[in-house]
Amino acid sequence: MTLAHYLALSAALFLIGLFGALTRRNIIGILMGIELMFNAANINLAAFNRFLHPEGIVGSAVALFVIAVAAAEIVVGLALVLAIYRSQNTVYAEDISLLKG
Amino acid sequence: MIKHVHWIALLPLIASVVILLGSRDNTEKSRLPLLGVAVMGWCLLHSLLILAGVLSGRAEVPFYRTLPWFEFGGFEMTLGVLIDGTAAFMLVVVTLVSFLVQVYSLGYMHADPRFKRYFAYLSFFSASMLGLVISSNLMALFACWELVGVSSYLLIGFWFEGDAPAYAGKKAFITTKLGDLGFFVGLLLLFAYAQTFDLKMLPLHFQMGPGHMPAWVPTAVGVLLLCGAAGKSAQVPLFVWLPDAMEGPTPVSALIHAATMVAAGVYLVARTYFIYQAAPMALEAVAWVGLITAALAATMAVAAYDIKRVLAFSTVSQLGFMMLGLGVGGYTSGLFHLTTHGCFKALLFLCAGSVIHAVHTNDMRQMGGLSKKMPETFITMLIGAFAIAGFPFLSGWFSKEAILHDVYRFSPAMWCAALATAALTAFYMFRLVFLTFLGISRDHPRWEHAGESPPVMTVPLWILAALSIFAGLALEHNGIFAGAVCFGPAAAAEGAEAVAHAPNWLAWGAVGAFALGLAAAWRLYGTGDLSLASSLKRSLAGVFDILEDRYGFDRFFLALVRASDSLAAALYWFDSNIIDAIFVDGWALATRALAEVQRFFDDFFVDGAVDGVGALTRDGGLGLSRLMAGKVQEYLLFVALAVSLFATFIMTR
Amino acid sequence: MSALVFYSLSAVVLISALGVVLLKNTLHSALLLGLCLAGVAGVFASLGADFLFSSQLLIYVGGIAVLLLFVVMLSGRSSELKLRQVNDQWLAALLICAVTFLGMRRYIFEAGTAVLTASPQPTTAALGKLLLGEYAVPFEAVSLILIAALVGAVVFSKARERKP
Repeated sequence: MTLAHYLALSAALFLIGLFGALTRRNIIGILMGIELMFNAANINLAAFNRFLHPEGIVGSAVALFVIAVAAAEIVVGLALVLAIYRSQNTVYAEDISLLKG
Repeated sequence: MIKHVHWIALLPLIASVVILLGSRDNTEKSRLPLLGVAVMGWCLLHSLLILAGVLSGRAEVPFYRTLPWFEFGGFEMTLGVLIDGTAAFMLVVVTLVSFLVQVYSLGYMHADPRFKRYFAYLSFFSASMLGLVISSNLMALFACWELVGVSSYLLIGFWFEGDAPAYAGKKAFITTKLGDLGFFVGLLLLFAYAQTFDLKMLPLHFQMGPGHMPAWVPTAVGVLLLCGAAGKSAQVPLFVWLPDAMEGPTPVSALIHAATMVAAGVYLVARTYFIYQAAPMALEAVAWVGLITAALAATMAVAAYDIKRVLAFSTVSQLGFMMLGLGVGGYTSGLFHLTTHGCFKALLFLCAGSVIHAVHTNDMRQMGGLSKKMPETFITMLIGAFAIAGFPFLSGWFSKEAILHDVYRFSPAMWCAALATAALTAFYMFRLVFLTFLGISRDHPRWEHAGESPPVMTVPLWILAALSIFAGLALEHNGIFAGAVCFGPAAAAEGAEAVAHAPNWLAWGAVGAFALGLAAAWRLYGTGDLSLASSLKRSLAGVFDILEDRYGFDRFFLALVRASDSLAAALYWFDSNIIDAIFVDGWALATRALAEVQRFFDDFFVDGAVDGVGALTRDGGLGLSRLMAGKVQEYLLFVALAVSLFATFIMTR
Repeated sequence: MSALVFYSLSAVVLISALGVVLLKNTLHSALLLGLCLAGVAGVFASLGADFLFSSQLLIYVGGIAVLLLFVVMLSGRSSELKLRQVNDQWLAALLICAVTFLGMRRYIFEAGTAVLTASPQPTTAALGKLLLGEYAVPFEAVSLILIAALVGAVVFSKARERKP
């Protein structure tokens, strides 16, 4: 298998995640889309590490950092979802327009 | 001493402000007027010291000091003092009379409800007059000249509750303004050719000889300045205000309308004598104006029955004498008469004030026999009358003699007229004294009520009486006055030569005129039998009518006022019916039509554009605000759109 | 052999990802996300990143997917199952995705020449040395972020005290 296969997989996963983040009405769905995009990036990192620098492990290290940050992100995001659900009684993004100017 | 001469003018000004604003108590209990008296006393001392310095030669004259006032273009206006012998004498006369009059007023005005304000005005007048005297600059002199006019106006109309004082104040102010107009035009003309108002610089321009400025300029300036002098010094034809000015308090008449302010015109001519020297015609005009004034006023004094008006006409007449003296080239004699006249005329007025204070009337027909009731006033007034009439070795005799000498040298015909006037002077003065003090009382209740004035009033009388007796002798002695007051060395030499050439019998002329006038007055009024006088008056009724009419001058000016009123009315009609109707209203109509067109344009185009911009902004804002709906996912969409476009752009480049 | 593994893993990943994005029931989406993440872990394994594989399984599949399931179940209502789960931006989102794909396409195919040359090495020991040696500072920064996220999550999700 060549690098291009992995990159194509990564791109497809990224675009699916992007589409989900843009179209899901549920905030949890948006978060899931974002998680998919993170994973697409991680696949890229691992693939580059494997194909371009087989002796190195920096790609894996950065991917680990991404996983850690993504974990932090999802924790805070879900906490926010819960808080919003408690105060607004909804989890649908279009119902929440507190930023409206 | 002379270095601080400016304080002589400034301190009374400060005093007047302090008196005016210092306290609410307007009655005689207020102590503030004493401040004015004290300041004036200090000024008198200062002036005397300056005069002593000038006479002894310790002080350098002319003393000249200026400081810059303002600049425009290349011209620098200065404010300063210029003291020569003339100014030194004038300072003493003004401060002396001011001081004595203020002391006298403490008694005379004691019951007046505006006691304090009166003294503030007096101090203000003194300040302006002293400023006029010491000014080194014709423009500043003019300013003080007008301030003097203002204070004169305020004091003539001091009892403004009555119609007559208010009217007299206005008349005095407006009449003198008529002369001041000439003065001002003269100043402008002078400036146009000399580019300076400075009295120290100006003579140089006139001594440069012909060719420096057109020959008509000195003459024109001289005549125009004479207009101002004639207004202030009550010369023909502008003398009409002075008799009416007697409506003011009598001490004011003594101070302003006898001794000081009316002498300002004479002083002005003396200060600008260099102009007249360059313009013999203007100088001769001064002489003729003086002579005519002296003669006319003397005749008018004969017919007057108001004690103060007699003195007023007498003042006009004596001022005419001074002008005559100056006009015939007797610079020294004219100013000498100014100095001595200041003493005895102030004395006469204050005596008259004392009489009026006692009998509460101005009409001599209601007086008579007052010598028993008020002997001090009688004696001092007699001294004043002798002095003004020219009794030998009294002060008036010396100065009048000097003028008559100069007049004879100029023209024997004018000398005859002047001599006749001198005789008339003696006649009307003794007529006044006899009618007032001798004979029987013609109004018994008033006579009974009358009494001698308090010492605060009689002491100034005695001081002035002493000066009236001795001032002439003292100043004539060794030529003290002539030595200090002379117009350049050439004039002094000329004067000495003239005295040498004058005939011996000339001196007897004045004495003869005095004796004639005295004898006639005694015959008609002195014996207590007025039948001859009244029969004479009946047979000369036509002449008396003309005299009481003041030769029609008042009617002339009233007609002038009426004519100018009608002219103004005609102009007003023309303005409102022709100019306003055609030009102003027509123009307004055209402007309105144009404005309508502009309004249309404004509404449709300008406002349309403005509204359009507003609407565009508002609609655009509303449209854009829909993007900012607060929908996070929409924001995310835009972010993704932008990022993908940028990324695509970069990667496919 | 490796081709078979790759394609089957790709199929699992992409199909479950589509399910995550498109399914109406959020609970199903969360479950499929777990499957998708497990597939990604398999991809890591096929790339020889053994530590990344185990981390992916532990953190994503064992932690995040389970957390998501909890939240979905906490906030979900049965009535919502009938509701549309895709908003009306889907056409715009599709266009954006297409544009992005067009941009990326060239790079994907240009990178295609590289092939696997060596057999994979175990990376766990080397990663441990790297993270605690050269990358110690970023490592500690990440741990700080995690602490902050933990505290934040507790603060946000704590039940608000009712004011009297």
